[in-house]
Amino acid sequence: MQCDECSNGKILDVEGMSFAYAEKTNLSDISIEIEPGEFVAILGKNGSGKTTLMRCVNKILKIKGGSVRICDEDIATLQMGEIAKLCTTVPADAPVDFSLKVRDFVALGRTPFVNSLWWEDAEDERIINQAMYDFGIEMYADRRLHELSSGERARVLLAKGVVQTPKLMLVDEPSAHLDIKYKVQVMELLKMLSEKGMAILMANHDINLLTRFCDRILLLHDGKIIADGKPNDVVTQENIRKVFDIEVEIVQSGGVNYVLPTGSTGWDDLVR
Amino acid sequence: MSKKAVASASNVEQAKKRAILIIVPGIVAVVILYIFSLTIGAYQITFDEALSGFVEIISTLGHPDDMGSKVIMQLRMPRSIAVILVGSGLAIAGAVMQAMIHNPLVDPYVTGVSSGASFGVILLTLGGVISAANVTTMWFIPLGAVAGAVGGFMVTMLVAESAGGKAMSYVLGGTIIAAGLSAATTLILSFNADRIHSITMWMFGSFSSITWNNILVMIVPIVAILIIILFQARKLNVMLLGETQAQYLGMNSRNYKRNMLILSAILTAFCVAFCGTIGFIGLIVPHLCRMVVGGDHRVLIPTSMVVGSLVLLAADIICKSGSAGELPIGAITSVVGVPFFVYLMVKEGKRYAM
Repeated sequence: MQCDECSNGKILDVEGMSFAYAEKTNLSDISIEIEPGEFVAILGKNGSGKTTLMRCVNKILKIKGGSVRICDEDIATLQMGEIAKLCTTVPADAPVDFSLKVRDFVALGRTPFVNSLWWEDAEDERIINQAMYDFGIEMYADRRLHELSSGERARVLLAKGVVQTPKLMLVDEPSAHLDIKYKVQVMELLKMLSEKGMAILMANHDINLLTRFCDRILLLHDGKIIADGKPNDVVTQENIRKVFDIEVEIVQSGGVNYVLPTGSTGWDDLVR
Repeated sequence: MSKKAVASASNVEQAKKRAILIIVPGIVAVVILYIFSLTIGAYQITFDEALSGFVEIISTLGHPDDMGSKVIMQLRMPRSIAVILVGSGLAIAGAVMQAMIHNPLVDPYVTGVSSGASFGVILLTLGGVISAANVTTMWFIPLGAVAGAVGGFMVTMLVAESAGGKAMSYVLGGTIIAAGLSAATTLILSFNADRIHSITMWMFGSFSSITWNNILVMIVPIVAILIIILFQARKLNVMLLGETQAQYLGMNSRNYKRNMLILSAILTAFCVAFCGTIGFIGLIVPHLCRMVVGGDHRVLIPTSMVVGSLVLLAADIICKSGSAGELPIGAITSVVGVPFFVYLMVKEGKRYAM
């Protein structure tokens, strides 16, 4: 699959990017390429910079060095509104304070494209209706956001991301607080989107879901990408030991590597 | 997945219809209540007389012959126009603050804007800079209110944002700033004990001394800001997502939040400039409207304008009807507002992370 607008066929092209908060270097020499239809995950321990990396890609944070190109456009030269037309960011959860209706919430995804001050036009409405249908949330249209279960809310968040008609979707821990059924469902939905041509970059802790669903895994450690490849090549005993400092057993099922956390963390050594 | 979505009714059309269904009857109700409010006061006027007087004033371009019509025109018309302006102004200032701070428990009163405006006005009037009766210096009153409101709110915002920017920080910060400002106000008052009565009336809010000249000063800024905010309704919806998520959608949310908060402080200042502080309208009205029409600001903002006018008109009618003379309207709204706030806090406190 090719992206119509990008000459080099890459949706995301990060080259030698670095980022630092104050004095502390958080990310250095990050290079990532993602093609249309690729479902890529970033794996790393807490605080390894997964979220920071995504915030550099969508320009919420200013990078210190290197470059980030989305669809061949250098984000340094783009306004936030232009980036929002190329790249959507799906947060872990929706704010529930104000109880917008589900339909109104999904409609907010059209913001970068709505020119009129007040209302969406017919084309916007068609896209919104289609997404509501595709994610099975039509029947919740008039419900308030906080009345939905977290699994349903996850689908609403994805629908809002999709109506933004992005080339690149950044997804930050989409399944952190879901039960196992909805964890799998969110992965299925993301997989389906990538099969339709969307490039997806996701941060996630559920290693076993990543190996099953993703096309590629980036291993982030100490602010650097130390492995980038097919899930089975990246998720190995050695790599997991290096990044997470724990012994695991790798078992294969249906050609996919799964991780069994059989080792101990050695906390009792710390106490003694 | 490739199946087409079932053609559902246009959401935009529904929202427009809902807005019109609320606003048109709402405006009719405001007009009726307005004319009814013209009948209330020391001089006896019936509803029919008020209606014909109203028509006469308009048809003679403000030169009625009838005694009743003169009372209506000189005393009661400007007063009730001010009530309408201030009602919608305070309601909208509250709605905007609630959207920006992501919490329905804030309003201009709670966040120290109103007390800032009070302080500004009292400092100017009792400082001897102006006399309220003079038209040319009358502009100083709203200017003092704006300076006080924006100044007071800036300090609150500074304190609240450095404490994390949560709604609780705004409420606490506002309370502290308001306490400081009212102490300063008290000090000024104690040096001017002879003029305390007119000022206490102002501090508790009253529409009893509104003149056409006051209206002239109020109407342009209030209406202009209301129109600006009406056009921001979509962006207010986006801001409900929170600052970061609004940024994901291409908004410069930090600047936008600051600008809209300052705009609502200025709106509040013009509202309280001539009638004094009136609490809780900005809290109660948007909340009630949100319960009925939902959180979409494209419906919520116009609805709150209409309902704000209606609520304050009703409150002013109660004040005028008091048998022992005029009641201070700010006291009336607070008597209703304080239990309402407590109720909201107890019922919704957890959800709104107070």
